Amino acid sequence: MYKNQRRTLVSILTTLVFGTLCATLPANLAKAQTYMVGSTGFPSNIRVAIRETNSSGEPDPRGRIIYVSTVNFDQYCRDVLPNEWFPNWNPAALEAGAIAVKMFAWFHHLHPVTIDGYTFDVDNTVNFQTYRAQSDQPSTDQAYYATRNLAFVKPNKEIVELNYRAGYENNPNWQYRNAGIMAQWGSEYWANQGRTPLQILEFYYIGRMLTTIPGVGRS
Amino acid sequence: MKNKNVIQILARTLLATGILSLSFFPIHLCSAANTPANVSQPMQFQQQQPKPTDKTPNTTDKTPNPAEKPQTSGYDPMISGKGYGNLRVKVIDGRTLKPIEGAEVVVLETEKRYKTDANGLTPWIQAPVLRSARFRFLVNELHGQLTLISYKNGYHDSIHMGVRMNEGATTKTTIWQYQITPGVDRRLEPIVYIEPYHRLWLIQLADRFRRPSQLGEGYERP
Repeated sequence: MYKNQRRTLVSILTTLVFGTLCATLPANLAKAQTYMVGSTGFPSNIRVAIRETNSSGEPDPRGRIIYVSTVNFDQYCRDVLPNEWFPNWNPAALEAGAIAVKMFAWFHHLHPVTIDGYTFDVDNTVNFQTYRAQSDQPSTDQAYYATRNLAFVKPNKEIVELNYRAGYENNPNWQYRNAGIMAQWGSEYWANQGRTPLQILEFYYIGRMLTTIPGVGRS
Repeated sequence: MKNKNVIQILARTLLATGILSLSFFPIHLCSAANTPANVSQPMQFQQQQPKPTDKTPNTTDKTPNPAEKPQTSGYDPMISGKGYGNLRVKVIDGRTLKPIEGAEVVVLETEKRYKTDANGLTPWIQAPVLRSARFRFLVNELHGQLTLISYKNGYHDSIHMGVRMNEGATTKTTIWQYQITPGVDRRLEPIVYIEPYHRLWLIQLADRFRRPSQLGEGYERP
């Protein structure tokens, strides 16, 4: 009699435990999903949401989305860099910026969003990165292609979002280092002090490392 | 004898008067005075003459003919102390995005004209870097600005303002031109595109005039 009851109790408990595990399993898997350099392919395109412009013709970060444009990934990075960094800055600062712009775009390509019925990776404003079609410049193009095969990632090669902000001119911008964000003016400051692009990235993004992207060349 | 003396005195007086009158004669009225050695020009004009060491592109040794109509208004922004950058303009069809050959691009600040080739490209242009005087003593502008106009038969004129220029740097820019569609385009007017200031400078500008008692969005921070 007691034996049967015990069996029933055990079977109920087992069902409960397995049921709970099964119900939570997909969520756990989704949370644990990471993208690594090497196992994740280098993007060929990126979806850019184009927001409506304000009265002076500048894309409005709070404007409504007009359409989503699919842009070649290299071209997107080339058309962002001169609008985020300054084209006549030190080449080392531009190369550090090129890697940050690319890693930011790559991360968001892997984590698309849906807003107002549009699914996209980034928009063309400072909500993500300032993008203007056909605005690439020779100096920034050179910096992009010099670092195209490089990624700045976690030690396990996980692709992370590399954030940056303007910062202050002629200043190392230590407060940005503490926040794990690269200061753009800081990158120019350190480049003028003779730092290499890698040293600049390592200064602002602590605990990250440089790696090559398999199968990706410099052109 | 007495008459002889009188004649001599008269002759000497005439000679002296002649010499004196010649010395007071305004020589700039003489046609012979147009030789460069005798030109006495106002000081201001002489100061505007470019020095031989100045960077004055496209200068020619050809003596200007006053009968010819001058090609420019005489305003020359290429004065000493100003920098130059290299500019190349690409003109494309705004709808097909294909290059437009034979479009004429005018750099307003220099009043010089350039034709595009089969790839829609102008030759490399040595263009001045002109920063607005409005902000000169407040926040240094990070780049100069130029204005371009592109003309092409069958297309709307395209005005491109605020092309960013920096000293010694190479700059590329693209002008979109839109084909005129008969029947659809009832008013033929130019299309304008204004390139904004770089965001890094706009951040500096906003921070420069921010009051601690009215922070707004606050100073730039991580």
